[in-house]
Amino acid sequence: MAAVVPAAPQISLQGVQKTYPNGTVALRDVTLEIPKQDFVFLVGPSGAGKSTLVRLLIREEKATAGSIHIEGQDLSRLKRRHLPYLRRKIGMVFQDFKLLPNLTVFQNVAFALRVTEGALRHLKPKVEEVLSIVGLEGKESKYPDQLSGGEQQRVAIARALVHDPRIFLADEPTGNLDPATSWEIIQLLLQINARGTTVLMATHNREIVDVMRRRVVAIEGGQIVRDEDAGGYHAPALESH
Amino acid sequence: MHRLWNRIDFAFSSAWQNFWRNAAVSIASVLIVWVVLLALGSLLLVLHSLDQIVALEKTKASAISVYLADSTPLSSAMDFKLHLESDPRVSSVEYVSKDQAMARFRQLPALDPSVIDTLGTNPLPASLDVTVKDIRDLGAIDQEVRTSPLVDKSPATNYEPNVIDKIILLARVAGIAGLVLIIGLTGLSVFIIMLTIRTAIYLRRKEIEVMKLVGATDWFVRWPFIVEGLIVGVVGAVVAVLIVGFGYRPAVANLQSVLIFVPLAFDPSYLRVVLAAMLGFGLLLGSVGSYLGIRRFLKQ
Repeated sequence: MAAVVPAAPQISLQGVQKTYPNGTVALRDVTLEIPKQDFVFLVGPSGAGKSTLVRLLIREEKATAGSIHIEGQDLSRLKRRHLPYLRRKIGMVFQDFKLLPNLTVFQNVAFALRVTEGALRHLKPKVEEVLSIVGLEGKESKYPDQLSGGEQQRVAIARALVHDPRIFLADEPTGNLDPATSWEIIQLLLQINARGTTVLMATHNREIVDVMRRRVVAIEGGQIVRDEDAGGYHAPALESH
Repeated sequence: MHRLWNRIDFAFSSAWQNFWRNAAVSIASVLIVWVVLLALGSLLLVLHSLDQIVALEKTKASAISVYLADSTPLSSAMDFKLHLESDPRVSSVEYVSKDQAMARFRQLPALDPSVIDTLGTNPLPASLDVTVKDIRDLGAIDQEVRTSPLVDKSPATNYEPNVIDKIILLARVAGIAGLVLIIGLTGLSVFIIMLTIRTAIYLRRKEIEVMKLVGATDWFVRWPFIVEGLIVGVVGAVVAVLIVGFGYRPAVANLQSVLIFVPLAFDPSYLRVVLAAMLGFGLLLGSVGSYLGIRRFLKQ
């Protein structure tokens, strides 16, 4: 594989602004660069713009101003018919898992391959591979409502991994989970990161952010108020209070 | 190959599930498609029959049968025949005896011969079948022959100047009325198919969300719903095609037995065209309905 040009980060936002049709300004002048294989926590209060940022990265929304590049690709110029191929490069998990209740664990994961027309011959080994990464061997034929929250999130993570994504976006992945289970999910994300995938995790989970000491990007009122390597949930000045 | 098969398999199995998941709505749309196609097929066949009648009447139009009273001796009839043949407007005259008239009558397709036999005596008159050179002289000839004492009075001739015009008018009225009905039903059926597809999309909204999230293409998401619309169209069409296909011949036979003197014919080659048109129109209804159903959510 050709080396990435060092000057070009994998994810790059330059002066991004997002104004919704109703006039709400969700993001203003956001500039952020994330290099390949980085692990970034995106923190901030509800409504600060974290989810908007995530939605912009998978082009569920278009930026009103500024530019977003992913692996050199300008998202504002991305044609609608090329959008699915961007999504296949990006694995996504959410607070509510978004599993299909009428499909088994295996089928939920296979679904992502099936609907993207992955060759069916490779479907079974691939599904088994990602299920073993997330530690769900033996649960293939269970339905989501027979699983714990943590297990359901693992299924969602496995599903997000079937396309070998280069970027992994997690929007509040531990929001519905107890602390012990949350740590297991974080371990999984670290493991995915260690395999070479860039991870961006939007979270409210202060304990995890503080313990991990990874890069922290804090958003408030639609603006980046802090961006530090090995940071905590709150700014150092606030923590001394 | 694998990918194509996967796409087809996914589209058809999802469409089939959709169809049964909201069975009531799906069956309603099949029924309305069925009604539209039944109306379309029937209209085409009725108009075709009227066309056949018009064509036949036109060939008969240059001739009239002058009915002779039963009391007319054969010699007087032959004199009258010669008299008519001497008329410069007449091209030929043929004498048809009572027996020949009966023989012709027996050949009418829908007539049960045993019914005729119960009559005992032959009620049909002998006639002189007069063919004219110019169709416009028929009326004058008709007026002249009626004055002859040899001619039966009830009826004197089979001259019916307006019959073709009447049939053409009937065909036109039936055609316009049928067309209006079919246009109305077409609009209704497209609307109901659209609602069916919208319902199916609503029931699948979670799956669609996941599909888009993991990078399914727009067409991959759309195909199941288009296939569902096509299934509605095809099922409605097949039922209508079976009814029209098997019902046409008995319907012609039944009508023929009521309308003895109207020539109706079973026309299998035209029937095939009508059935193909019905199937094609069913597919069109299904695809337009599902296109309208998915159009709005495509934009997102």
